[in-house]
Amino acid sequence: MSEASIAAPASAKDSRFNRGNRFAQFASRGALIVAILAALLYGSMASPVFFTSGNLVNILTSMALVGIVVVGMTFVLVVGGMAELSVPATIACGAILALSLQPEIGPVAAFAVAVLLAGLCGLVNGILIGYVGVNPIIATLSVGTIVLGIVQAAVGGVIVYGTDPETAALVKGRVLGVPVIVLVFVAIALIGNFVLARSFWGRWTKATGGNYRAAEASAVPVRAVKAGAFVITALCSGLSGALLGLTLQSARPLVGTGYEFSAITAVVVGGVSIMGGFGSIPRSIAGLTFVQILTNIMVLQGVRTPMQGFVLGLLIALAVALDAAFRKRGVA
Amino acid sequence: MSPSDCALTMRGITKTFPGVKALSNVNFTVRYGTIHAVVGENGAGKSTLMKILSGTYMPTSGTTEIAGAEVRMRKPADAQKLGIRMVHQELNLVPDLSVAENVYLGRMPRRWGMIDKAAMVRNAAAVLTQLGASIDPRARLGDLPISQQQLVEIAKAYSADPRVIVLDEPTSSLSDHETAALFAILRRMRDKGIAIIYISHRLKEVLEIADEVTILRDGNMIETRPAHGVTAGEMIKLMVGRDVTDIFPKSPSVIGDVVFKVSGLSDGQNFENVSFDVRAGEILGLTGLVGAGRTEVAKAIFGLARLTAGQIEIHGRPVKIGSPAAAGKAGVVYVPEDRKLDGIIPAMTVRDNIILPILRQICKLGRISTQQDRALAARYAKDLSIIPSDPQRRIDLLSVGNQQKAVISKWLSANPSVLILDEPTRGVDVGAKAEIHRIVGELVAGGMAVVMISSELPEILGVCDRVIVMREGRACPALDRASLNDERIMALATGEEAA
Repeated sequence: MSEASIAAPASAKDSRFNRGNRFAQFASRGALIVAILAALLYGSMASPVFFTSGNLVNILTSMALVGIVVVGMTFVLVVGGMAELSVPATIACGAILALSLQPEIGPVAAFAVAVLLAGLCGLVNGILIGYVGVNPIIATLSVGTIVLGIVQAAVGGVIVYGTDPETAALVKGRVLGVPVIVLVFVAIALIGNFVLARSFWGRWTKATGGNYRAAEASAVPVRAVKAGAFVITALCSGLSGALLGLTLQSARPLVGTGYEFSAITAVVVGGVSIMGGFGSIPRSIAGLTFVQILTNIMVLQGVRTPMQGFVLGLLIALAVALDAAFRKRGVA
Repeated sequence: MSPSDCALTMRGITKTFPGVKALSNVNFTVRYGTIHAVVGENGAGKSTLMKILSGTYMPTSGTTEIAGAEVRMRKPADAQKLGIRMVHQELNLVPDLSVAENVYLGRMPRRWGMIDKAAMVRNAAAVLTQLGASIDPRARLGDLPISQQQLVEIAKAYSADPRVIVLDEPTSSLSDHETAALFAILRRMRDKGIAIIYISHRLKEVLEIADEVTILRDGNMIETRPAHGVTAGEMIKLMVGRDVTDIFPKSPSVIGDVVFKVSGLSDGQNFENVSFDVRAGEILGLTGLVGAGRTEVAKAIFGLARLTAGQIEIHGRPVKIGSPAAAGKAGVVYVPEDRKLDGIIPAMTVRDNIILPILRQICKLGRISTQQDRALAARYAKDLSIIPSDPQRRIDLLSVGNQQKAVISKWLSANPSVLILDEPTRGVDVGAKAEIHRIVGELVAGGMAVVMISSELPEILGVCDRVIVMREGRACPALDRASLNDERIMALATGEEAA
């Protein structure tokens, strides 16, 4: 009965925890939509430029490249993998290879090789984290540093330029007024959403993040699922990097700096739990949308860069604190 | 005895948890300068009583008096202030700190705002000498053998100048020689006037060390008596004697061929040379005290832990099981002991939990077929009468009994031929318990082979066809239910009767 006594109050705590969490889900989902609408409203009143098609396409374009990374990063957070910090390296890998291999193997093959090699970095991360059991922060940080070093050595630390104007024109082009990059982002988001919300892999990802041991005891290949999240993220950032390189027609090894933080910010602001087990692509993209609109408004208003950083930092802290507060209140 | 003799008096202690009465009206008195043993089966209420005494739980009703004054303890720090110290089975020590630092953890002597290391080492050495333990206070704790680490834990409790020290299964990892050394130290502390509460399953040791014995059973205090003149047999009788009321007896089923056979299983750590077989239509009980290695055996069979030796056969064919997925494919499934830790994904619905092991089978082009998953989940929810039968509810909002039924049905969807249930009715209420027994009975009637791990003897004796008792990692040969009773099982489990 002593064992029973342990089980019983725990389950009572549990249901309270979940009531709290459900409320948190509702609050964060509703709050974010309200926040996005409020930002749109404020933006259109504060600046005459804001609600022009030019500016909105601007927002979408700057969203697209981070957005592709956000799709991958969502998998990492949902599977309980905390964060993936080798994103800048895999972006650089994608950007530099997509350009530098063009003369040798042609633009299409260069693009494919760039994305696949980035994916290989993710596989190394995944094996270290999922199978060896290295802490994700440490694993991705060290793999990222190593890959970045290799990339820098390979290009000799200088800028690489594109040699194929046709692909550049294609990537920078528009279909019915929508930039191609935005279309790629939408496609990746749709695929990501299908995998996470509808496929067995997504279900396994949520189960592994929700309760690793129970998932393992339910015949979920937890190690592979965990590793998979990092491969997905690396493929996404490789793709994002390749597109970035083709857009700029030049790439430096540090081209991807900051993307990891932008992506994590979006996912966390979207209300995806940093503890794993819960989250969706639409949520992450809502978080990204809000952050992008806010940044855009600050730029239009002439808010200085340090202040922008301050606001974004505050936003992350607030989002994480809310998540923690709801959990704590549920458990206390 | 005069009141001034009493270090601790607990009166009318009742503790209820939702659906369970863990303690009912327990009276418990410990005198200064005595070693007082508390014995009882798994789940008799020993740990709950100690958790109340140490301030971890508040009693539902009842009072606690320390040294004659009534006290209210709301948190462990309150109990410590009143001079109550616990020495847990799992030691609460920091391996990378020195012995002296561990003894004075959180209350190190200070000088000019800095830790006075010299004084700390001096004091620790003095405490260890008083206890008769020859341990260097400057040694790194992690370098000591486990028996000496335990003495450090006792020294830590003793150095706080306590009234009452509670020891929970202190000899479980000690050799006979080390146990004798520990007993010498306990007697020394007793002679200094400390009240010592000694919790153990090892009745022989209890008789050797204790001055008084209190027996708990099903949350009730049965008796407190002087240890002198009591026999192990009498204690076992008092520990298990009770009515069998909440058991759904197994209906006789046709017992077929051997479906599942394991031989010589070892994991090099928790169990050794375990062999048994189960036939179609049979429930094999696996019992023993907590820590005897039952769960470890089940987890290793299911591929959640490694085996270093042994063979597993299903339908006469040897199989290699490296993961739960492989086990499921081979037809062996395991319903774990700890629902919260190993059983459920709390944030998911009942349906999503149930279909997890067979997700791949109900996918088309990677997409989970909603029709199939709904149909399957609804069928199992209905078969097992999970109430409410809404499979869209989040699983953690269900009652404990319904959660357990959902965890069982999760694996039934994989159509196994061998079902291993680990404490399937722990913590569930009486109604759900009978229902789980009924479900298991139906599965067996359908030809399934079931291994049921349970600490509850009435359950083992009421439901199982044959029983294996494990003790310290070894299993006795399977015994027929007819040849068993509560007392014989307890005797086998505690080592009073050699297997």
